[in-house]
Amino acid sequence: MTANTWNGVAGTLALISASPLALAAQEDHGEGGGWDALFSVDVGLMIWTVLVFGVLLFILGRFAWRPMLTALDAREKGIQDAIDEANRQRDEAQRLMAEHQAQLADGRRQAQQLMADGREAAERLRKELEEKARAESATILDNARREIGRERDAAVETVRREAVDLALAAAARLVSERLDGERDRQLISGYIEELGRGGAEA
Amino acid sequence: MRFLPLAGQEHEAVQETAEGGHAEAFDLGEMLSHHILNAREYEFPGFVWHMPQMDPIHLGGMTIDFSLTKHTFLMLVAAVITLAIGLVVARTISRRHVTAAPSGFANAVEAMVVFFRDDVCKGNIGHGYERFAPFILTLFFFILTMNLLGLMPWGGTPTGNISVTAALAIITFFVVEISGFFKLGAAGYARTIFFVPPGTEGVWKLVMLLVMTPVEFLSKLTKPFALAIRLFANMTAGHMLIFSLLGLIFVFGNMAYTRWVVAGASFAMTTAIMMLELLVAFIQAYIFAMLSAVFIGLMQHEH
Repeated sequence: MTANTWNGVAGTLALISASPLALAAQEDHGEGGGWDALFSVDVGLMIWTVLVFGVLLFILGRFAWRPMLTALDAREKGIQDAIDEANRQRDEAQRLMAEHQAQLADGRRQAQQLMADGREAAERLRKELEEKARAESATILDNARREIGRERDAAVETVRREAVDLALAAAARLVSERLDGERDRQLISGYIEELGRGGAEA
Repeated sequence: MRFLPLAGQEHEAVQETAEGGHAEAFDLGEMLSHHILNAREYEFPGFVWHMPQMDPIHLGGMTIDFSLTKHTFLMLVAAVITLAIGLVVARTISRRHVTAAPSGFANAVEAMVVFFRDDVCKGNIGHGYERFAPFILTLFFFILTMNLLGLMPWGGTPTGNISVTAALAIITFFVVEISGFFKLGAAGYARTIFFVPPGTEGVWKLVMLLVMTPVEFLSKLTKPFALAIRLFANMTAGHMLIFSLLGLIFVFGNMAYTRWVVAGASFAMTTAIMMLELLVAFIQAYIFAMLSAVFIGLMQHEH
């Protein structure tokens, strides 16, 4: 083994020091080519390789890699689109949610406002009615008082008139019986005058 | 050193004597060269297929032999397998799995395709990677299949042949240079060879031109050369190791008890190395394709 291994090492060194083109010239393999066949360049095989690789590249490129890469791109695009769509929908949902919450809050606020307004209006109405009732009762009372006053005045007048008539009647009777002097006459008319003045004063 | 004949019958004879207990007749080197080198016949268990041969073509002083050989045949097998896998998986994915990922084998292939598209092509070539993705993918899957064929029973690896790897590297070289030429234009492309570092003045321009031009030129040639040697050496070395370990059984074949110990150890070691080789088959195919993408990317973004 050692001899052959060393030969292989020597061959490697020879290969490293020589250019591939120089090696192509010393092509020598086949029957009887021992270890140096390891480093001999077989142009036929090289051309075979290029041809096979070329055909492989053409067919695979056209019917394997291109559809595969296209499908992968389509799948990746689909996944990306799905992610984008999900994000969009999430944003939309959040927007709608915020909107609904805002509307809800607005509604609640409006309801409270309405309630407050209603309460206030009721209060105002109550106060107004109270005020009105109070004013009305005051008016009624006032009217009643004034009516009473008027009635009293009228009554006093009537009483005074009655009193004068009574006094006159009484006086007439009294006078018809014993009144005849001048002095008496003066006394009565003075008295009546005094009454009329007092009645006007009252 | 003796040049060993590659004829199968002779090898079988050697093996028979080894199995018969005459280990001194067993030549490990011959066994190795037989399994690793190219051949004009293919051995299956029970029979040997002598491949149809044709006369070499003489073309301008060069003798080109297009005859079928073991490595040519294996390469064709690899191409057929790659084609079948590619077409079937593409069909599965584009027909039935446009919206959801496939399962099983198609998913494994798809994972590799996606990895190569995103991390290798997009990462190294960048803008305009789509045009190179089929090339990189074909390189990877073709090389991978050839590498894996070497781990099959009665298989062999065409990528353990310098001619195959050199041809693949030359293809990469032309793809890199031609795509670079079209991308950069004639003047831009010329600057990748006749390189003057920016900021140099006067006579230094000429000096730098004289120094840098051979360097740039060599760097262009070194890249495919390194690609070819790396793949070839890795595959050959792995197979040499496997066959050397197996060969130990026959080397120690005439020792009464030691041979069992050696056989057990050899079996365990070979299994472990086989696992490693499985990894190497993937890694080397990946490296070849990845470096090709790197070289294309370097060329595309040269200013």
